[in-house]
Amino acid sequence: MADGAGSTVPDWLPKAVAVLVALALLAPVFGWASGQVGYAEPLENAAEATGATDDAEPVESAPFPDYGVPGLGSAPGTLVSAFVGIGLTLVVAFGIGRALGSDADADTDAVR
Amino acid sequence: MHIPDGYVDLPLAVLFAAISLAVLSYAARRVGGEISDTRAPLVGVVAAGVFAAQMLNWPIPGGTSAHFVGGAFAAILLGPHLGALAVATVVAIQALVFGDGGLLVLGANVFNMAVVEVYVGYAVYRVVAPYGEFRAAFAAGWLGITAGALTAGLQLGLSAAFQYELLTTLAIMGVGHLVLGLIEGAITAVVYRYLARARPDLRPTTTPDPEVSA
Repeated sequence: MADGAGSTVPDWLPKAVAVLVALALLAPVFGWASGQVGYAEPLENAAEATGATDDAEPVESAPFPDYGVPGLGSAPGTLVSAFVGIGLTLVVAFGIGRALGSDADADTDAVR
Repeated sequence: MHIPDGYVDLPLAVLFAAISLAVLSYAARRVGGEISDTRAPLVGVVAAGVFAAQMLNWPIPGGTSAHFVGGAFAAILLGPHLGALAVATVVAIQALVFGDGGLLVLGANVFNMAVVEVYVGYAVYRVVAPYGEFRAAFAAGWLGITAGALTAGLQLGLSAAFQYELLTTLAIMGVGHLVLGLIEGAITAVVYRYLARARPDLRPTTTPDPEVSA
Protein backbone atom coordinates (compact mmCIF):
# COMPACT_ATOMS: atom_id res chain seq x y z
CA MET A 1 0.00 0.00 0.00
CA ALA A 2 3.03 2.30 0.15
CA ASP A 3 2.61 5.12 -2.33
CA GLY A 4 6.18 6.31 -2.06
CA ALA A 5 7.66 9.04 0.03
CA GLY A 6 5.76 12.24 0.74
CA SER A 7 2.69 11.19 -1.22
CA THR A 8 0.27 13.65 0.37
CA VAL A 9 -1.23 14.25 -3.10
CA PRO A 10 -2.80 11.00 -4.28
CA ASP A 11 -2.59 10.17 -7.97
CA TRP A 12 -6.36 10.26 -8.45
CA LEU A 13 -6.70 13.82 -7.18
CA PRO A 14 -6.29 15.67 -10.53
CA LYS A 15 -9.00 13.51 -12.09
CA ALA A 16 -11.29 14.05 -9.12
CA VAL A 17 -10.81 17.82 -9.33
CA ALA A 18 -11.59 17.69 -13.06
CA VAL A 19 -14.88 15.93 -12.25
CA LEU A 20 -15.71 18.58 -9.64
CA VAL A 21 -15.03 21.37 -12.15
CA ALA A 22 -17.28 19.63 -14.68
CA LEU A 23 -20.08 19.36 -12.10
CA ALA A 24 -19.68 23.07 -11.28
CA LEU A 25 -20.01 23.97 -14.97
CA LEU A 26 -23.19 21.88 -15.16
CA ALA A 27 -24.81 23.69 -12.20
CA PRO A 28 -26.16 26.69 -14.18
CA VAL A 29 -27.50 24.35 -16.88
CA PHE A 30 -29.43 22.30 -14.35
CA GLY A 31 -30.57 25.47 -12.59
CA TRP A 32 -32.10 26.70 -15.82
CA ALA A 33 -33.63 23.34 -16.68
CA SER A 34 -35.32 22.81 -13.32
CA GLY A 35 -36.58 26.39 -13.50
CA GLN A 36 -38.33 25.39 -16.71
CA VAL A 37 -40.40 22.68 -15.02
CA GLY A 38 -40.98 24.71 -11.85
CA TYR A 39 -39.04 23.78 -8.77
CA ALA A 40 -40.95 21.86 -6.12
CA GLU A 41 -39.78 19.21 -3.69
CA PRO A 42 -41.95 16.99 -1.49
CA LEU A 43 -40.99 19.33 1.37
CA GLU A 44 -42.63 22.24 -0.44
CA ASN A 45 -45.67 20.14 -1.27
CA ALA A 46 -46.03 19.24 2.40
CA ALA A 47 -45.74 22.92 3.33
CA GLU A 48 -48.44 23.83 0.85
CA ALA A 49 -50.75 21.03 1.98
CA THR A 50 -50.65 22.23 5.59
CA GLY A 51 -50.39 25.97 4.96
CA ALA A 52 -46.89 26.30 6.34
CA THR A 53 -45.34 27.97 3.29
CA ASP A 54 -45.56 31.51 4.70
CA ASP A 55 -43.75 30.51 7.88
CA ALA A 56 -40.46 29.93 6.08
CA GLU A 57 -37.83 32.46 7.04
CA PRO A 58 -34.89 32.89 4.67
CA VAL A 59 -31.39 33.03 6.16
CA GLU A 60 -30.66 36.75 5.83
CA SER A 61 -27.00 36.46 6.70
CA ALA A 62 -26.02 34.09 3.89
CA PRO A 63 -23.37 35.69 1.66
CA PHE A 64 -24.61 33.81 -1.42
CA PRO A 65 -28.37 33.66 -0.90
CA ASP A 66 -30.07 30.86 -2.81
CA TYR A 67 -26.83 29.96 -4.62
CA GLY A 68 -26.71 33.37 -6.27
CA VAL A 69 -24.51 36.43 -6.15
CA PRO A 70 -26.40 39.65 -5.38
CA GLY A 71 -26.19 41.90 -8.45
CA LEU A 72 -25.04 39.13 -10.73
CA GLY A 73 -27.30 37.30 -13.18
CA SER A 74 -28.79 33.93 -12.42
CA ALA A 75 -26.44 31.72 -14.45
CA PRO A 76 -23.17 33.49 -13.55
CA GLY A 77 -24.29 33.69 -9.93
CA THR A 78 -24.95 29.95 -9.85
CA LEU A 79 -21.57 29.28 -11.44
CA VAL A 80 -19.70 31.42 -8.91
CA SER A 81 -21.67 29.79 -6.07
CA ALA A 82 -20.82 26.35 -7.39
CA PHE A 83 -17.09 27.07 -7.45
CA VAL A 84 -17.13 28.78 -4.04
CA GLY A 85 -19.18 26.01 -2.45
CA ILE A 86 -17.23 23.13 -3.97
CA GLY A 87 -13.89 24.73 -3.10
CA LEU A 88 -14.94 25.58 0.45
CA THR A 89 -16.37 22.11 1.07
CA LEU A 90 -13.23 20.50 -0.32
CA VAL A 91 -10.98 22.51 1.98
CA VAL A 92 -13.11 22.17 5.13
CA ALA A 93 -13.75 18.43 4.76
CA PHE A 94 -10.10 17.80 3.91
CA GLY A 95 -9.18 19.75 7.04
CA ILE A 96 -11.53 17.63 9.15
CA GLY A 97 -10.06 14.45 7.68
CA ARG A 98 -6.57 15.74 8.41
CA ALA A 99 -7.38 16.87 11.93
CA LEU A 100 -8.92 13.52 12.83
CA GLY A 101 -6.24 11.50 11.11
CA SER A 102 -3.00 13.15 12.17
CA ASP A 103 -2.65 11.48 15.56
CA ALA A 104 -3.70 8.13 14.21
CA ASP A 105 -1.06 8.16 11.49
CA ALA A 106 1.66 8.48 14.09
CA ASP A 107 0.14 5.61 16.06
CA THR A 108 -0.13 3.19 13.16
CA ASP A 109 3.42 4.00 12.10
CA ALA A 110 4.63 3.27 15.59
CA VAL A 111 2.82 -0.07 15.64
CA ARG A 112 4.49 -1.06 12.41
CA MET B 1 -35.16 18.18 1.83
CA HIS B 2 -33.49 21.25 3.39
CA ILE B 3 -35.87 22.59 6.01
CA PRO B 4 -35.89 26.39 6.29
CA ASP B 5 -36.15 28.27 9.58
CA GLY B 6 -39.69 28.77 10.81
CA TYR B 7 -40.93 25.30 9.90
CA VAL B 8 -39.83 23.33 12.95
CA ASP B 9 -40.73 24.24 16.54
CA LEU B 10 -37.78 25.50 18.53
CA PRO B 11 -37.71 22.73 21.20
CA LEU B 12 -37.64 20.11 18.44
CA ALA B 13 -34.90 21.97 16.59
CA VAL B 14 -32.82 22.11 19.78
CA LEU B 15 -33.46 18.43 20.50
CA PHE B 16 -32.31 17.32 17.06
CA ALA B 17 -29.31 19.66 17.19
CA ALA B 18 -28.26 17.96 20.43
CA ILE B 19 -28.72 14.48 18.93
CA SER B 20 -26.76 15.44 15.81
CA LEU B 21 -23.96 16.90 17.88
CA ALA B 22 -23.79 13.74 19.99
CA VAL B 23 -23.71 11.46 16.94
CA LEU B 24 -21.09 13.54 15.14
CA SER B 25 -18.78 13.67 18.13
CA TYR B 26 -19.19 9.90 18.47
CA ALA B 27 -18.37 9.62 14.75
CA ALA B 28 -15.29 11.80 15.17
CA ARG B 29 -14.05 9.59 17.99
CA ARG B 30 -14.72 6.38 16.07
CA VAL B 31 -12.98 7.68 12.99
CA GLY B 32 -9.76 8.58 14.75
CA GLY B 33 -7.18 6.03 13.75
CA GLU B 34 -8.89 5.03 10.52
CA ILE B 35 -7.72 7.89 8.34
CA SER B 36 -4.60 7.24 6.35
CA ASP B 37 -2.72 9.80 4.27
CA THR B 38 -4.85 9.14 1.20
CA ARG B 39 -8.16 9.24 3.04
CA ALA B 40 -8.06 12.88 4.13
CA PRO B 41 -8.09 14.11 0.50
CA LEU B 42 -10.77 11.51 -0.25
CA VAL B 43 -12.99 12.95 2.49
CA GLY B 44 -12.57 16.40 0.93
CA VAL B 45 -13.31 15.19 -2.58
CA VAL B 46 -16.35 13.12 -1.59
CA ALA B 47 -17.80 16.03 0.42
CA ALA B 48 -17.15 18.46 -2.45
CA GLY B 49 -18.70 15.97 -4.88
CA VAL B 50 -21.79 15.68 -2.68
CA PHE B 51 -22.05 19.48 -2.55
CA ALA B 52 -21.69 19.72 -6.34
CA ALA B 53 -24.20 16.95 -6.99
CA GLN B 54 -26.73 18.57 -4.67
CA MET B 55 -26.62 21.71 -6.82
CA LEU B 56 -27.84 19.74 -9.82
CA ASN B 57 -31.62 19.75 -9.66
CA TRP B 58 -32.94 17.12 -12.03
CA PRO B 59 -36.09 18.41 -13.66
CA ILE B 60 -38.79 15.76 -13.55
CA PRO B 61 -41.80 16.09 -15.86
CA GLY B 62 -44.86 16.99 -13.82
CA GLY B 63 -43.29 19.92 -12.03
CA THR B 64 -41.07 18.20 -9.53
CA SER B 65 -37.38 18.43 -9.22
CA ALA B 66 -35.03 16.50 -7.06
CA HIS B 67 -31.38 16.38 -6.43
CA PHE B 68 -29.03 13.66 -5.34
CA VAL B 69 -28.38 13.93 -1.59
CA GLY B 70 -25.53 11.47 -1.38
CA GLY B 71 -25.62 10.41 2.25
CA ALA B 72 -25.60 6.71 1.49
CA PHE B 73 -23.02 7.26 -1.22
CA ALA B 74 -20.65 8.97 1.22
CA ALA B 75 -21.27 6.21 3.79
CA ILE B 76 -20.38 3.41 1.38
CA LEU B 77 -17.30 5.19 0.08
CA LEU B 78 -15.94 6.60 3.34
CA GLY B 79 -17.52 4.37 5.95
CA PRO B 80 -20.44 5.62 8.05
CA HIS B 81 -18.56 7.79 10.55
CA LEU B 82 -16.44 9.72 8.04
CA GLY B 83 -19.47 9.78 5.74
CA ALA B 84 -21.57 11.45 8.42
CA LEU B 85 -18.89 14.07 9.05
CA ALA B 86 -18.48 14.73 5.31
CA VAL B 87 -22.21 15.21 4.68
CA ALA B 88 -22.58 17.31 7.85
CA THR B 89 -19.87 19.60 6.45
CA VAL B 90 -21.88 19.96 3.25
CA VAL B 91 -25.16 20.68 5.05
CA ALA B 92 -23.50 23.25 7.33
CA ILE B 93 -21.88 25.12 4.43
CA GLN B 94 -25.17 25.08 2.52
CA ALA B 95 -26.96 26.77 5.42
CA LEU B 96 -24.23 29.20 6.50
CA VAL B 97 -23.00 30.33 3.08
CA PHE B 98 -25.93 29.77 0.72
CA GLY B 99 -28.99 30.03 2.96
CA ASP B 100 -30.11 26.55 1.88
CA GLY B 101 -31.73 25.17 5.01
CA GLY B 102 -32.17 27.31 8.10
CA LEU B 103 -29.70 28.06 10.88
CA LEU B 104 -31.93 27.16 13.83
CA VAL B 105 -32.89 23.92 12.10
CA LEU B 106 -29.33 23.14 11.01
CA GLY B 107 -29.15 20.36 13.57
CA ALA B 108 -32.40 18.86 12.27
CA ASN B 109 -31.18 19.01 8.67
CA VAL B 110 -27.88 17.45 9.68
CA PHE B 111 -29.81 14.73 11.50
CA ASN B 112 -31.94 13.88 8.45
CA MET B 113 -29.26 13.99 5.77
CA ALA B 114 -25.94 13.39 7.54
CA VAL B 115 -27.04 11.03 10.31
CA VAL B 116 -30.17 9.13 9.21
CA GLU B 117 -29.44 8.88 5.51
CA VAL B 118 -25.80 8.01 6.15
CA TYR B 119 -26.25 5.38 8.87
CA VAL B 120 -29.47 3.85 7.50
CA GLY B 121 -27.94 3.82 4.03
CA TYR B 122 -24.83 2.12 5.35
CA ALA B 123 -26.83 -0.46 7.30
CA VAL B 124 -28.91 -1.30 4.23
CA TYR B 125 -25.73 -1.56 2.18
CA ARG B 126 -24.19 -4.01 4.62
CA VAL B 127 -27.35 -6.13 4.78
CA VAL B 128 -27.81 -6.35 1.01
CA ALA B 129 -24.11 -6.53 0.04
CA PRO B 130 -23.99 -10.36 0.15
CA TYR B 131 -26.54 -10.35 -2.69
CA GLY B 132 -24.49 -8.03 -4.86
CA GLU B 133 -22.76 -4.72 -4.31
CA PHE B 134 -24.62 -2.93 -7.11
CA ARG B 135 -27.99 -3.90 -5.63
CA ALA B 136 -26.73 -3.01 -2.17
CA ALA B 137 -25.64 0.48 -3.26
CA PHE B 138 -28.96 1.02 -5.02
CA ALA B 139 -30.99 -0.06 -2.00
CA ALA B 140 -28.80 2.03 0.30
CA GLY B 141 -29.37 5.23 -1.69
CA TRP B 142 -33.06 4.52 -2.13
CA LEU B 143 -33.97 3.57 1.44
CA GLY B 144 -31.43 5.93 3.03
CA ILE B 145 -32.99 9.02 1.49
CA THR B 146 -36.49 7.72 2.23
CA ALA B 147 -35.57 7.27 5.90
CA GLY B 148 -34.14 10.81 6.00
CA ALA B 149 -37.31 12.15 4.42
CA LEU B 150 -39.41 10.37 7.04
CA THR B 151 -37.51 11.93 9.94
CA ALA B 152 -37.88 15.31 8.20
CA GLY B 153 -41.60 14.58 7.91
CA LEU B 154 -41.66 13.71 11.61
CA GLN B 155 -40.01 17.02 12.57
CA LEU B 156 -42.39 19.00 10.36
CA GLY B 157 -45.50 17.08 11.44
CA LEU B 158 -44.77 17.71 15.11
CA SER B 159 -44.49 21.46 14.51
CA ALA B 160 -47.05 24.26 14.74
CA ALA B 161 -46.35 25.64 11.24
CA PHE B 162 -47.56 22.34 9.78
CA GLN B 163 -50.65 22.31 12.05
CA TYR B 164 -49.29 19.13 13.67
CA GLU B 165 -50.57 17.21 10.65
CA LEU B 166 -48.12 14.41 11.19
CA LEU B 167 -49.78 11.89 8.89
CA THR B 168 -49.87 14.40 6.02
CA THR B 169 -46.22 15.37 6.33
CA LEU B 170 -45.06 11.77 6.76
CA ALA B 171 -47.11 10.65 3.76
CA ILE B 172 -45.95 13.44 1.44
CA MET B 173 -42.31 13.28 2.48
CA GLY B 174 -42.19 9.49 2.67
CA VAL B 175 -44.02 8.67 -0.55
CA GLY B 176 -42.41 11.57 -2.44
CA HIS B 177 -38.90 10.48 -1.59
CA LEU B 178 -39.68 6.79 -1.93
CA VAL B 179 -40.33 7.57 -5.60
CA LEU B 180 -37.56 10.15 -6.06
CA GLY B 181 -35.26 7.85 -4.10
CA LEU B 182 -35.13 5.51 -7.08
CA ILE B 183 -33.00 8.16 -8.79
CA GLU B 184 -30.86 8.49 -5.65
CA GLY B 185 -30.39 4.72 -5.61
CA ALA B 186 -29.56 4.56 -9.32
CA ILE B 187 -26.93 7.31 -9.11
CA THR B 188 -25.45 5.81 -5.93
CA ALA B 189 -25.17 2.37 -7.55
CA VAL B 190 -23.83 3.50 -10.93
CA VAL B 191 -21.22 5.89 -9.57
CA TYR B 192 -20.17 3.45 -6.86
CA ARG B 193 -19.75 0.61 -9.35
CA TYR B 194 -17.64 2.84 -11.56
CA LEU B 195 -15.41 3.90 -8.66
CA ALA B 196 -15.14 0.38 -7.24
CA ARG B 197 -13.93 -0.89 -10.61
CA ALA B 198 -11.66 2.03 -11.40
CA ARG B 199 -10.10 2.32 -7.94
CA PRO B 200 -10.74 -0.74 -5.78
CA ASP B 201 -8.01 0.52 -3.45
CA LEU B 202 -10.15 3.46 -2.30
CA ARG B 203 -12.85 1.27 -0.77
CA PRO B 204 -13.13 1.63 2.99
CA THR B 205 -14.30 -1.84 3.98
CA THR B 206 -11.10 -3.71 4.49
CA THR B 207 -12.55 -7.08 3.66
CA PRO B 208 -9.92 -9.70 4.37
CA ASP B 209 -7.60 -10.16 1.43
CA PRO B 210 -8.20 -13.47 -0.35
CA GLU B 211 -4.47 -13.67 -0.92
CA VAL B 212 -3.68 -13.63 2.78
CA SER B 213 -5.03 -17.15 3.27
CA ALA B 214 -1.62 -18.58 3.99
